[in-house]
This record gives sequence, structure tokens and C-alpha cells, in this order.
Amino acid sequence: MNLVYLVPLFPLLGFLINGLLRKSLSKSLIGIIGSGAILASFIVSILLFLQVKEQGALPVEPLFTFINTGTFNIGFAFQVDQLSTIFLLIITGVGFLIHVYSTAYMHDEETKHFGRYFAYLNLFVFSMLLLVLGANYLIMFLGWEGVGLCSYLLIGFWFKVDNYNVAARKAFVMNRIGDVGFLLAMFWLLQKLGTLNYADVFANYKNLSGTDITGITLLLFLGAAGKSAQIPLYTWLPDAMAGPTPVSALIHAATMVTAGIYMIARSNILYTLAPLTENVVAIIGLATAILGATIALKQNDIKKVLAYSTVSQLGYMFLGLGVGAYTGAVFHVMTHAFFKACLFLGAGSVIHAMSGEQDMRYMGGLKKWMPITNITFLLSCLAIAGVPPLSGFFSKDEILAAADLHNPVLYWVGVAGALMTAFYMFRLYAATFLGKFRGTHEHHLHESPAAMTIPLIVLAILAVVGGFIGIPEVFAKDAHWLEHFLAPVFAQSKALQPEHLGDATHELMLMGIVTVLSIVMIVWAWRKYSKYQPAAEEETGLGKVLENKWYVDEAYNAAVVKPVNSFGGFLKNVVEKSGIDGIVNGAGRFVQYSARQLRLLQSGQVGSYLLFMVLSIVVLFLIFWNQGIIIAFIQKIF
Amino acid sequence: MNAIILSVIIGVVMMFCSVFVPNKNSYRHIASIGLVLLLAGNIAEMHGFSLFHINTKGMLSYDNFGLFFNTIAIASTLIYVLLSGRDIQKIGTYVAEYFVLIFFVLCGIAILSSYNNLLMLFLGIEILSIPLYILTGSDKRNMMSNEAALKYLLMGSFSTGLMLMGIALIYGATGSFNIEVIHAASPQQGANGMSELSVSFLEIMGMLLLMVSIGFKVSAAPFHFWTPDVYDGAPAVITSFMATIVKVAGFIAFIKLFDARMLGTSVETNKLIGVDWKLLFAIIIICTLLVGNVTAVFQQSVKRMLAYSSIAQAGFMLFALFSMNDVAKEGILVYSVAYSLATIGIFAILVKMKDFTFEGYNGLGKTQPVLAFTNTIFLLSLAGIPLTAGFFAKFFMLESAIKTGTYLWLVIAAVVFAAISVYYYFRVIQAMYFKAGDAAVVEAPTMSFKIGLLLLAAIIIYFGIFPQALLSWFYF
Repeated sequence: MNLVYLVPLFPLLGFLINGLLRKSLSKSLIGIIGSGAILASFIVSILLFLQVKEQGALPVEPLFTFINTGTFNIGFAFQVDQLSTIFLLIITGVGFLIHVYSTAYMHDEETKHFGRYFAYLNLFVFSMLLLVLGANYLIMFLGWEGVGLCSYLLIGFWFKVDNYNVAARKAFVMNRIGDVGFLLAMFWLLQKLGTLNYADVFANYKNLSGTDITGITLLLFLGAAGKSAQIPLYTWLPDAMAGPTPVSALIHAATMVTAGIYMIARSNILYTLAPLTENVVAIIGLATAILGATIALKQNDIKKVLAYSTVSQLGYMFLGLGVGAYTGAVFHVMTHAFFKACLFLGAGSVIHAMSGEQDMRYMGGLKKWMPITNITFLLSCLAIAGVPPLSGFFSKDEILAAADLHNPVLYWVGVAGALMTAFYMFRLYAATFLGKFRGTHEHHLHESPAAMTIPLIVLAILAVVGGFIGIPEVFAKDAHWLEHFLAPVFAQSKALQPEHLGDATHELMLMGIVTVLSIVMIVWAWRKYSKYQPAAEEETGLGKVLENKWYVDEAYNAAVVKPVNSFGGFLKNVVEKSGIDGIVNGAGRFVQYSARQLRLLQSGQVGSYLLFMVLSIVVLFLIFWNQGIIIAFIQKIF
Repeated sequence: MNAIILSVIIGVVMMFCSVFVPNKNSYRHIASIGLVLLLAGNIAEMHGFSLFHINTKGMLSYDNFGLFFNTIAIASTLIYVLLSGRDIQKIGTYVAEYFVLIFFVLCGIAILSSYNNLLMLFLGIEILSIPLYILTGSDKRNMMSNEAALKYLLMGSFSTGLMLMGIALIYGATGSFNIEVIHAASPQQGANGMSELSVSFLEIMGMLLLMVSIGFKVSAAPFHFWTPDVYDGAPAVITSFMATIVKVAGFIAFIKLFDARMLGTSVETNKLIGVDWKLLFAIIIICTLLVGNVTAVFQQSVKRMLAYSSIAQAGFMLFALFSMNDVAKEGILVYSVAYSLATIGIFAILVKMKDFTFEGYNGLGKTQPVLAFTNTIFLLSLAGIPLTAGFFAKFFMLESAIKTGTYLWLVIAAVVFAAISVYYYFRVIQAMYFKAGDAAVVEAPTMSFKIGLLLLAAIIIYFGIFPQALLSWFYF
């Protein structure tokens, strides 16, 4: 029996129960329902995964006809294959841990807000599951919009703070810009192929011209750039840190922001056929990776550092997609989900201990009070910095190796970003956990409860060992389990890609250099920031530019937001007031005037009624006998 | 045949009830049971099971379209009696008679949906009209009601005269009352304009007169003058019946007369007896929409507004006659249901109101939330807002007109008028929800009344989402 429909069903039920009964359930019950729903999904996902591992992709499971018009037919159908099971495991597995973590992290909220939080979170998981399970682009789009909505709701979870609402709105608008691309791509596909089903689209790609494929893939990439925070639409993600920290971990690090990678990996055949788009994806990805990394160097808010780091890591994933390393990109999605979720949750644990303080200039020396958070955070930092044999090393290396085969320039720029990553992560770590405490409320500091530390431990373990499912060829032949597992999904692309055989010694040498350099960066940052004292004077020069995030937000404000606002003002004050209102009110007055005149005909006198009738009959007769002339007249006018 | 004979039998039985059953409250229950029987009989006939086998010598013919319409009419009447039965009782003392007359009207409707002969058309129209003259004047101590009945009778007689004149002219030209024979006698090759036609002048005059007299019955402008006065003067429950079921029946008679294809005589659509009637219908539609919508804007009484709104809605239903294609015939069925159900609901609520003016509805949303909510849905349906049955009703009508490929300006005008209609329908909604006041009802509505309203609203929304459901019943 195919259990696939159960996977999204549990979170949906959780959402309904918690959403509808949020005022009457107790907090512990809400937590159990919310986490239990995800756990149930996770268990079913494991079953599905084992099934897929055993017998390959399951047949598409149609649930019902979603849209049926004369010319096209879209079913509400689920597709479980290797790619979607990997995402299922990430979403439900990491999702479950974060739900458990949230029960403790959000414990101070009022019960009804607590319920609302879990309802949103479950709804998010439901939408995310739809996104990866759908068997056609429309279902993916439904999930796509669903996660966008939940992201909006959760960023603005504390809606009483105005700034948070602004951040939520910004995320929504940025995502909508990307959605336009997604929608247009779907229309284009429909127009050319008449279908949105993955199976049909990928089987009939030969009916698409080169322009079609390039256009469609570019538009899809615009959608992906919105959702996955790539240049030029990345600015919402750092602001999205306004939401509760577990939300940042789940939505803005581990799952939702990787939707764009899923979409492109899913459509891999189209991208393989569009070299131009591939180059665009690779360059934008790399540029985002570097931009994010540079900004992260100078941020002081612990969550902002992680946010820019996420932007940067997502850039690496797109770089992987752009150079055709689809497995590498998915691999990095997975390892990134582990270590970045762990980092965010660790940051949450720190913030929890610091009673809401997020600025690391007022932290330091937390190692003493928070041993578990400290060690898990350290391990995740090592993983993201790419220290072997932790997970980040393998996945990042796979992407960079593929980039090297593509073009060494991409490789070296990518390496520069990776070194910056190592530096800013250890700046963050050292400034937070090492040295002396620089804050004021030392007596508050405490390790977080078990509900928060256990997810941290699990994620840290995964961040350490997660890389072993993708050991590169150069170390051991056929040891890359993930590549074999995902091979059927990317088979079509693989057949079209030129076979690159890297030189093993060359690859090993590069790997060695990068590793050594990374460790150098780590040691440098460690030494520099373990005795960190925040500088009193303001940053100058490049440092200031980085601290202000390259002034991108300001540039967008000046170039887009302000002109649009003033155009809106013009429409409202001039066009609407004097133009449209005038026409509408004029029409209204005209109708009222005619009504007053027509009313006079209704005199109440039977005699006059009959007279009118007879006159009308005569007129009708006259019209009828001369209709040839009248029709000719009307045709002349219209 | 089932519907014609059963309705008369049940009517007569009810008449005796007034003698033998002393309890007035039981009449409406008997009437409901009678309507259920009638409905069952008609549905049985749709499945080919006829109780009576009478050779009508081709004067009546039963097809799926007519029978299905009968089902709609009877079912709507049932809903009407269930919702407003109490209020029918309150009109006066002779309660049973009111129900009897309703059954006789249904008999007339059944004839109109199956006539194949102009004499039967005349008979059906008269059987339908005469009980209505009485019902209009049923509130006999009320001068308004009396005046309305007299006006209705006078003007109705005038239109009957026109109809008889038309039938006589047609008989003179073709020597037959049978529609098929009349159509067969007409030339087929008529093209543009009259000059090329060799159709007898008498026949066309006759047809025009028939058109005017049926146009009078469905209150198409400029033959609508009786409508506001009669609808306003008659007791509100009776207006409800007249404005919905009776009016729609007139359209069925109209369609049967003008649907040449149904009679298999003309392959070309819209060329009845070789003449293109489109222009005349277009003019009538424009007049009807104009008079109905524009005059409704200025009314102070909801009841009178509804009278004009019923004229406006008739303008939309006339599109079926204008385009006369398959979409039109399906559309008029959807329209009948959407319009009748919504209007029955609105009147059922109106009857409960103490004050029929717009001010009378102020604040109904607070005092009677269920009434106000369902009323909103009914009004939205009449205005043709999506997700209500009324949207698809209008949609089908306009689609049918677009399919004819001509007179696009007429469709545009209709959409503009539909937009105007939103104004006066929303005035009621505005009064109910956004104006302060305590709208008073005559008596607290019972729970079953509220549930009935909610069910009716649910049906309207159901058909607004799945309009195909209705049509699939038609084709079952």
C-alpha cells in the first residue's frame, strides 16, 4: 500500500487541531500534538524511504483531479522518488527536532500564541511536504505559496512589534517577485506542452525549442532566487531573523530556503539543456556566496551572521546546480540542514540564556555556563568551515570540485568564500563562547533544558557524520552512496553531460590546500576573537561598507521602493481622485438621473399603461419591417 | 401528463380539505405532501413512467426539457411552501383556497411546458393567469391588493386579446394551430431583411402579437408596466410566487414557441418562420435591462425594488430567446433555478419584516444574524457574484449570446447593467450590516425557518461551485 498521502496528512491535522483549539488546549498538549504530527510523518517518511531504496521510485499516486478544463488536466498527485524522499527525511526529521526544541524555547508565550505558533509550524511543514511531493509544477507551486505564507506569518509572529511586520512584508514581497517568474514559467510550459506533470514535461522536452528552454529555466530560476534568497532578491532573508529562532532554523535555514534548489534539481534536465541559464545560475550563486560571506564578516548580531552565512551557503548550492553537480547541491542541502539548524538552535539557546540579547559584543565566555551548547556549536562551526571529516567538508568539496572541472576561476573564487566562511564562523564562535563575559546579567546564564539540548546533540552528531554518505571517488571507489541513490533522478541529465574525469592527484592536492588554509583561518579567527573587546570607534572604509551590508537595502529603497511609492501616491491622489472617481461618480449620478426620469413613466394609470404598450407595439412593428436598414446602420456604427 | 392531471386532482382534493379539515395549520402540510407527490409523479414521467395514457392528438408533447423544467417549478414551489407556508396562511381566512390556486397555477405551468398547439398555449396561459388574478386580490380588505388585482386583470385581458388575435392571424395564414405545421408551412430560405421573404404577412403579424403577449407575461419592457404595481400591491408571499415560478414558466412557453429546432423544422437557428428575430429581441432586452435596473436604483421600498429587479432579471433570461442555442437552453434552466431560489429566499425574509423599506433592514445583521447572512447570499446570487449560482446563470446567458457571434454590444451593455444591479442589491446588504438600527421582524423566526434558509443558501452556493451538477440531472 502506498502511504504517501499520510505524510502531509499528519501535519495538516496537527495544524487544524492546534489552530482551532489553541485557546482550549494546554501548552503541553499543543506541544505533543505539534511534535507528534511531525514525528508520525517522519516515521512514514522512513518507511517510504526504505521502500524507495528497495524498489526505486514509487508510481505516481493520484489523489483527485485538481483542475479539469477542456484542454488541460491537472491531477492532485504525489510522486515519491529518490529526490523527494531525501527531502522528506530532511523536512520531517529536522522539522521534528525543531518542533521539540520549540516546546521549550517558546514556553514563555501565552497559551493561545503558543498554539498559534505550532499551528503555523505544522502548516509550514504541510506546505513544504506538498512542495516536494507534488507530481507536477502546480502542486509544487501550491506548496511554494503555502511555505511563503507560513514564512510571512512566522516572521511576523510577534506582530506587536512594527519592525517585525515590516520584515515579514518584505519577505513576502520579495518572494512574490520570484513567484511571478515561477508562474510565467508554468504558463510557458502549459502553452508549449499543455502539461505541468513532471513525467510528461521531462519526457517531451524535445518539443521545446532552445529559446523556450532558456526562457523557462531563467524564469524558474527567478522563482528560485526569490525563495532561496539569491541576488538580487536575497535581502529579505536577514530581515526574516525577526521571527522566533527555531523558525529561522527550520524555515530560513534548513528547509524552505532550499525549495529553490529542489525545484532546479527536479527540473535538472531542462537546465542541462540550457547552458546559458546554467552559467547564470552558477555566476549568481557564486556572487551570492561571496556577497553573503563578506557581509557576514562584519555583522554583530548572532542571528544576522548566521543569516548571511545561510545566504552564502545557498549560493554554493546554486553554484553546484549551475555547474551540473546536482547531487552535490542536494548533498549540501542536507548537510547544511544539519549544521545550520544546529547553529541556529545553538544561537537560540544562547539567546535564551542571554534573555533575548542577540548582539555578540555583549556575550563571551559562555562556554563555562553552557557546555552542551558550546560543544554542539563548535562541531557545527567546524562542519560549516569544511574541516575534514565533518559533513560540510564533503558536500562543499564536491561542489567546488565540480566547479573546478567547469572553470578554475569559479573554483578559486569559491574557495575564497569558503575561507571567509571559516573566518566569520569562528569569529562568531570565539566571540560568543570564548574569552570573558562582556554582558551585564551574568547570574542569569544557564544551560538550556533537555528539550533544547537533545535536538542540538542529535543535529551535531548528524553534522559530524552526515558527510559519510557522500565520500568522493578519490578516497574510495563507489563510496558515494548518495550519488548512486539519486542517480535515477539525474540520469537524463547525466546522459547529456560530457563526462569529466578529474585528475585524482590534482583534486587531492587542492583539497589539501583548502583544508590547510581553512584551518589557518580558523586559528586566526580563534586567536583574534577569543580576547575580543568591541572597538569603541566606528568602523571605517571597507569595514563600514560591509557592516552596512554593501548598502544594498538603501540602494533598493532609493531605486525601487521610493519610486514605486511615489508612483502609487500619484495614482492615488491624481488618477484615482480626479480621474477614476470622477468617472464612477459621474456614471452613478447619470444612472440616478435616468432613474428619476424613468420612474415618471410608472404613473399608476392603467389607461396610460395600455397606451404606452400599444405605442411600443407599433414602434416594434415599424422596426421589424425596416430591420434591414437598422441592422446596416448598427453595423456601420460598431 | 402526470403533472397536469395530478396537480388538478391534488388541487381539487385540497379544495375539499377546507370543508372536512377544520385545522388551518394542517393545510400547508397537506399542500407540501401534495407537492411531494406531484414532484414524484413528474420525476417518474421523466423515467418513462406515465400514469395516464391520453391521446392528445399531438396537442401536447413531452420532452426532457419541458419535464425537467416542470421538476424545477414543482421543486421550487415545494421550497416556497415549506419556507413561506405560514405566511400564506396569514393572508386571510380561506387558507385552503390559496394552496388550491397554487396547484392550479402549477397545472397551467405543466401545460405551458408541453404544449404543441397554440390552443394549448392559450389554455395554459389562462389557467396560469386566472388563479393569479385571484391570489393578487386575496388580501381582500386591503385596497392596494384589490387595486393590483383589478389592474392585473384589465391588463392581462388586454394581453390575452393580443394573443388571441395573433393565434387567429396565424390560423388564417397557415390553417393550423399546430406549431409543427405552422413552421413547416414557412419558407426555409429566408435571408437578410424582409424583402427577400415570401412569408405571409399575416403569419408574421401573428407571431409578433404572440411575442408581445408572452413578453407581457414575463414582464419584458416595454410591456412591463403592470409588474411594479401588481407586485407591490399583492401580498408579499404571493409576489414571491409570481415573480419566480410563474415568471420563469412564461419563459419556457416563450422558448417552446421560438425554438424552431426543437420542432425539427428549421436547421438554421434563430430563423423562425424564416425571419431573423434577433434585432427585436435585442431591442426588448435593452429596454428591459434599462427599465429594470435603472428604475430599481431609485426605489425606497425593498419590495418594489424587487419588482424592478425581477424585470431586470427577465432581461437576462431573454438572452436565451435571443441566442436560442444549446448553451441558452441549458442556461435558462440554470437561470431559473438560481433566480427562483434566491428570490424565494429574499421574499421569505421580506415577509417577516415589519417595514419593507430599506431603512427597515437597518441593523438586521445584529438583530437576526441568520436572516441577514442568508439574505446576503441570496442578494449576491441575484447580483451574479461568483461562487453563487447566479454567477453561472448570468455567465451561461452571456456565453450563449457571444456564441451567436453578433451583437457583442448587447453583451457589453448587459454586463454594464449587471454592474448597476450591484448597487441596489448591495444597498440591502449595506443596510443590514453597516447601518445602525434595530430592524424589527413581525415575529421571531422559528428554528426550522432559519435552517430552511441556511439550506437554501447552501444549495445556491453548491450550484455556484458545481453548476454542472444541475445540468447533469437534466441529462441523466
